[in-house]
Amino acid sequence: MTANNPTNPDDSLPLKGLRILDITVVWAGPYSTMQLADWGAEVIRIESTKYFAATTRGQMARPPQGVVDGGTSTGMGYAWREAGERPWNRHAIFNAHARNKLSMTVDLTKPEGQEVFERLVEKSDGLIENNLPQSMDKQGIGWERLSKINPKLVMLRMPAFGLGGPYRNYRTWGNHMESISGHPLIRTYPDLSPEYAPAGVPADAAGGIGAALGMLMGRRYVRRTGKGLMIEAPTAENFVPLLGDFVMDYSMNGRLWNQMGNEHWYLAPHNVYRTQGEDAWVTIACWNEDQWKSLCEIMRMKDLATDPRFKDNDSRYKNRKELDAIISEWSQDRQASWIMDKLQIEKVPSGIVMNERDATEDRHLHERGFFSSIEHPEVGTHKHVRTPFKSGNHENVGARRAAPTLGEDNEYVYKTVLGYTDEEYADFEEKGHIGTEFDPSIP
Amino acid sequence: MVGIMPLDDVTVLDLTHYTAGPFATRILSDYGANVIKIERPETGDPARMLPPFYEDKPGLERSGLFLWLNTNKRSITIDLKKDEGRDLVLELVKHSQILVENFSPGTMDALGLSPAKLLEANPKLIITSLSNYGQTGPYRDYIGNELNLYGMGGSMIGAGNIDHEPLKTAGRMVNYHAGYVAALASALGLYTVEERDELGDHIDVSIFETASHSIDMRLNRLMGYQYTGRLAGRQSQASAVGSGVHPCADGYFLITGGARFIPNIIRMIGMDELLDQEEWSTPEGRAHPDRIDEFLPHLIPWTLSRTKEEIRKEAEKHAVLGGPMNTIEDLMNNEQFIDRGYFQEIDHPETGPIKYPGYHFTLHRDEDQPMPDRKRAPLLGEHSEEILQEIGLSKSDIETLKKKSVI
Repeated sequence: MTANNPTNPDDSLPLKGLRILDITVVWAGPYSTMQLADWGAEVIRIESTKYFAATTRGQMARPPQGVVDGGTSTGMGYAWREAGERPWNRHAIFNAHARNKLSMTVDLTKPEGQEVFERLVEKSDGLIENNLPQSMDKQGIGWERLSKINPKLVMLRMPAFGLGGPYRNYRTWGNHMESISGHPLIRTYPDLSPEYAPAGVPADAAGGIGAALGMLMGRRYVRRTGKGLMIEAPTAENFVPLLGDFVMDYSMNGRLWNQMGNEHWYLAPHNVYRTQGEDAWVTIACWNEDQWKSLCEIMRMKDLATDPRFKDNDSRYKNRKELDAIISEWSQDRQASWIMDKLQIEKVPSGIVMNERDATEDRHLHERGFFSSIEHPEVGTHKHVRTPFKSGNHENVGARRAAPTLGEDNEYVYKTVLGYTDEEYADFEEKGHIGTEFDPSIP
Repeated sequence: MVGIMPLDDVTVLDLTHYTAGPFATRILSDYGANVIKIERPETGDPARMLPPFYEDKPGLERSGLFLWLNTNKRSITIDLKKDEGRDLVLELVKHSQILVENFSPGTMDALGLSPAKLLEANPKLIITSLSNYGQTGPYRDYIGNELNLYGMGGSMIGAGNIDHEPLKTAGRMVNYHAGYVAALASALGLYTVEERDELGDHIDVSIFETASHSIDMRLNRLMGYQYTGRLAGRQSQASAVGSGVHPCADGYFLITGGARFIPNIIRMIGMDELLDQEEWSTPEGRAHPDRIDEFLPHLIPWTLSRTKEEIRKEAEKHAVLGGPMNTIEDLMNNEQFIDRGYFQEIDHPETGPIKYPGYHFTLHRDEDQPMPDRKRAPLLGEHSEEILQEIGLSKSDIETLKKKSVI
């Protein structure tokens, strides 16, 4: 029953009819509901004008210009580097993942807000949240209560470390879950202090994909058993499998791999090399002798192939620093795209290290329809990525409607989904549940 | 009690090898799917001969990578280059709901197993093809590995220090992540067949695209670039007051924050009075780049006199976002993971009992239905006869196939 869902007006999208409540913050949770919304599920973000969840619609509701200037293209940026009158509608992270979702506002700290919430739960198939367990406890949102309201609900919870255990209420982002899981220490520079370790968040990405899969598993379980299901998807536990071979090597052999940088366990060459241009790089690796010989020929250094320092993989690995220096010397005056194409023709694995501009202009992504443009009412038209895979049957999945402005779909959710009358709606508005702006007291 | 698992009535035909594909089918098997892994006779999945090996001795049943990626699956050896081998696959397809493959684009067609042929055998089949760049496009036949796929797709350009080279992620993470996406794609396909009564689908998963989408929040960076006109570059972890990887008594500790969390960091180290000073009293003042270096002389002596765990406890108490820079050893001895019983011990004839990573997510079914124990990875061809008998082949049919070296 999703009549008139503004993000899925016709019947063509595969997840039509699946209604998911979204109480997610920051990125891992939102990335999961993005997958479902892209495929046509009706994802309703439950937000509040009285509470600002940091780093979801920006770090602050009303950031001073200094904070706005500090935001860069890592996703912390505001459109045109201006916060505008409603900064929460202009933030890159939110607007990138929230396309196709609906936004409604309700104040869950008030009893009538909890009634609205219960009615939503009753009319939905799933709920996804990734908050600190104690924050959910405070709002009375737990499986025991929700499963009584809707015995066929799938509730998927994504705490950082679990609903139990000593880290239950330890608040972190993806990068901290990763540091606890061992990732940054493995990937950081071989010859520099770990203080130079990169900030990365593959954990959040995997968390989002996993939770979307979990919701589908849950729905199938409900269909087969007639019973609802609670799924616990701690982001850290979800991530550790992506370090599976390191876990296995430690389990089997007690071996630890730290500070590997771009080095391979045993292959050489295997690194990134500076090329012509500012901060421009290319990757080159060889995993067999043919590739190595081709590389030497393309570099016009045939002698290298027979040089005793580099005659076979073991020698190359032993002398990899010298080898990297030779390749860098060659690469630095050439264009990354030229090197990639030249090496790839000879079946040597190589690629441009693409910055954001390279990616948005890439011919391969363009030809495969990876980007499409949609217009947002407050920030204009931008390129959005499609789904992370292509379906033969469903070419229409992906970006359709821009991210909702705060409370944009209140009327649809309250009246059409929940069946409140115009008078009741006006009453909710008066009591401060319905709105499009964060409370002026919130910085 | 085993109880119902979501996919325990689903058969997945697994024509994958190496990393990304096997990771996808492994996840489906975690949630109940009957995964039939088709391997090349005699040598099997090449990942069987990739390190790390148990006790560093190579052997078809000793690769930690293979053992980890193939738990719960059953192995059948089939020579796909023989007509009888192809016919066997088409027969197995009739008994399957999902087929996952990660050959180079074009290989399945050359083997006589094109999507059209597979859908002819089973019109409701979901075919998930996983490849480096996808089944179409100018890079289709380019070579790919972990390093260059992350360089092209992920945010390698943003990882590391601006004065040094960009860094890859650890190990085979980009491939793993693509496998995870392929599992989700397969489940979505299954949903359309079952809930919407649609015909089968051919899903095209490109590792380049799964990386461009999500690893290191790439899609945010792509939007951020369009919003601000700025390239991300390699931002130091130390881009705000208190943020960074800091030395401590027994290693390193990562703190991150940004505007809203700076006061928490200041309070954590007991420097509350700093917040009364003019330049520290406003968010704008604290966001000034000069504050970063001014703060370090306060912070570093504090971290150096504490262990990772002591700092972690303080961070939790003061709502500071941070975490210890652990090794895998630290992780496997971590109190939280131990308390949750996360790592699973799985026995195997070659390795004996070994600890493996646990489930991605836990289904809380009935009280007496905990998540099942995983089964060890199959020996090469261990289940060939069993599987063929299940689809109705007689003992003599199977003997004939053996004699012709089809299986």
